[in-house]
Amino acid sequence: MPAIDYHAVAPELILSGALIAVLCVDLFLPEKRKAWNSTLTALGVLGALGALFTLVGERRTTFGGMFVLDSFSLLFKFLFLAVAVVVVLMSADYLNDSLRSSQGEFYFLLLSSFLGAMLMASARDLLMLFVALEMVSVPAFLLAGFRKTDPRSTEAALKFFLIGVLSSAVMLFGMSLIYGVAQSTNLAEIGAALKARGDDPLVTASIMLILAGFGFKVSAVPFHFWAPDTYEGAPVPVAAFLSVASKAAGFAGLLQVAFLAFGGQTTAWGPGLAILSVATMTIGNVVALTQTNIVRLLAYSSIAHAGYMLMPLGVVAGQGAAIQRQAFAASLTYILVYSFMNLGAFAVVVAVGRKRPWNLISDYEGLSEREPGLALAMLFFLLSLAGIPPLAGFWAKFLVFGAAIDSGTAWLAAVMVLNSVVGLYYYLSVGAKMYLRPAEDPSPIGVPVPLVVAIAVALIVVVAVGVFPDFFNHFAPGATLIAL
Amino acid sequence: MSLAWVLTLGALLFSLGIYGVLARRNAVLVLMGIELMLNAVNVNLIAFDAWIRQGNATGQIFALFIITVAAAEVGVGLAIVLLVFRRRETINVDEVNLLKW
Amino acid sequence: MSGYFWQYGTIAALSIFGVAFVAVAFLFNRLMRPRKPHREKLTTYECGIDPVGEGWSQTQVRYYIFAFLFVIFDVESVFLFPWAVVFERSRNPGLVLAEMVVFIGVLAVGLLYAWRKKVLEWL
Repeated sequence: MPAIDYHAVAPELILSGALIAVLCVDLFLPEKRKAWNSTLTALGVLGALGALFTLVGERRTTFGGMFVLDSFSLLFKFLFLAVAVVVVLMSADYLNDSLRSSQGEFYFLLLSSFLGAMLMASARDLLMLFVALEMVSVPAFLLAGFRKTDPRSTEAALKFFLIGVLSSAVMLFGMSLIYGVAQSTNLAEIGAALKARGDDPLVTASIMLILAGFGFKVSAVPFHFWAPDTYEGAPVPVAAFLSVASKAAGFAGLLQVAFLAFGGQTTAWGPGLAILSVATMTIGNVVALTQTNIVRLLAYSSIAHAGYMLMPLGVVAGQGAAIQRQAFAASLTYILVYSFMNLGAFAVVVAVGRKRPWNLISDYEGLSEREPGLALAMLFFLLSLAGIPPLAGFWAKFLVFGAAIDSGTAWLAAVMVLNSVVGLYYYLSVGAKMYLRPAEDPSPIGVPVPLVVAIAVALIVVVAVGVFPDFFNHFAPGATLIAL
Repeated sequence: MSLAWVLTLGALLFSLGIYGVLARRNAVLVLMGIELMLNAVNVNLIAFDAWIRQGNATGQIFALFIITVAAAEVGVGLAIVLLVFRRRETINVDEVNLLKW
Repeated sequence: MSGYFWQYGTIAALSIFGVAFVAVAFLFNRLMRPRKPHREKLTTYECGIDPVGEGWSQTQVRYYIFAFLFVIFDVESVFLFPWAVVFERSRNPGLVLAEMVVFIGVLAVGLLYAWRKKVLEWL
């Protein structure tokens, strides 16, 4: 009976305790005091964050090698908890307005999903990976349908559910075959077994099935259809959560599986992912051009960004360890930077949505007169998403671009630059609406304090990383997974 | 009976499930197709486990987890389907089409 | 190894025999019986009473929630079996027991939730 390292799982335990506490306390809270739920949730997340700080620099393994805490998982856990804080701040106001009475369930589901994301960062076993993935998705299905009286929201939940469950079934089939071939579910052992086995159509097929499953989670073309519908129908803070935390969790799992378990098979999945990434960024950007709803615009933009994040994985086929490390670091940095700029943009959407609940792009006309600060923050987020030099998004794109050039796949880099130009057009057209058009109704919107804090956190990260691009290098997690 | 027969059964079940998902328009029947796919995975895992014969029975434990998670998924799924039916009076996935492009 | 799967061969043979037996019986029945269809004869037999309504009948949707609660708790109990196997061999039974108590406690929270939300009451 192997002992469990309780310190290594302390952040997850605190989060679990917090989510059970939220559910129980909510049952006995009177209607007037429902806002306490958000305070309790925030305390739980901060507690987990505190526990995580005691683990910095550690390397621990527990649950028989299923759960590994290293700098890679620490980095992702910090990201998830930071995102959790911002999403809770965004939801506090959103829920007070419309969904007051069911706050307890909302925070319970949100925390469950974040718990799954935390586990995902540490999962080094197919079983753990599967459980973590379901833990992220299943509460998210319910969160997407949380506005129960709105048929758009229930439709969003239905689509998300059917596609999500289908994708995990496909992935599981791949996992079952890999288990049979490698005779183990541990990612490192699978990596060793597959390397010894060499080329095998069965292995290639199972890798394809597993990667297709992850393709759904990170909404890569051709598995992206659920994303815009679900984001539009879901409550906006949930859309922010889905486009950031759920996607980052998908990438955390994808990076581990690709480099730990399938590290010896790069020629089997590399070219496929390169094509996938080109299709994803092109379709995402082109369809985004025609959108009239800001949430759908951001949804297609997040699909395009998934393409940029996948690109470094597409260039590693047959490359040496140095290129693999560079590609890994590029993809990782992109995920981190993207999370904060997208989160910030969604926080602004929540703020504007207070007055205009339909979230049309035309609602942003004249925003600079109504709320100059909000408009400026949105402009920063949009420019960062477009990849304009002094901001964080530029450095992320720069690293991905560099990985493509250094690996000798210049055509991928060229496609990426073309796509960035298309992206710049639609981001700037929203910016132009905010600054150049007159406002229909010049009255200020009024941004509550939690939202201001949420936007400020995201803005500080975006600007800080832009000015000090070394910021994320301090974590230097690239080398931990690629032991070549 | 060899391992290949059981794996063939698994593959057939999985294909049957995929056919159900693609061909059925009723959300509940789509859900049943997905259940078939998950059961195909269970068949595979148990067969491999019996074939590998390790002490720690990883495949069987994996199958147990899939069974429980599938139950939770179906619960969530039926709740969502019920909600859609109450709003729209239909659970035909082709008619659930408010959100487009 | 193949001996293990061959044990299922007995079951397969038995099922084939069972299916064949029923099929042959029905086939002979069909071949030998007289066939004179009549409108009265073709109506659905419902204990001799004239059938009313359609073949589809709806069940009260509120049964769903009970069935569902049952399934969830029933399925989660599957984890008790591997746990029981390990419990027998463990060096530290107190801790192992405590972990299972925590697991069941989490499930009990679900029940508490259902109770407070009044889904256990028959409306």
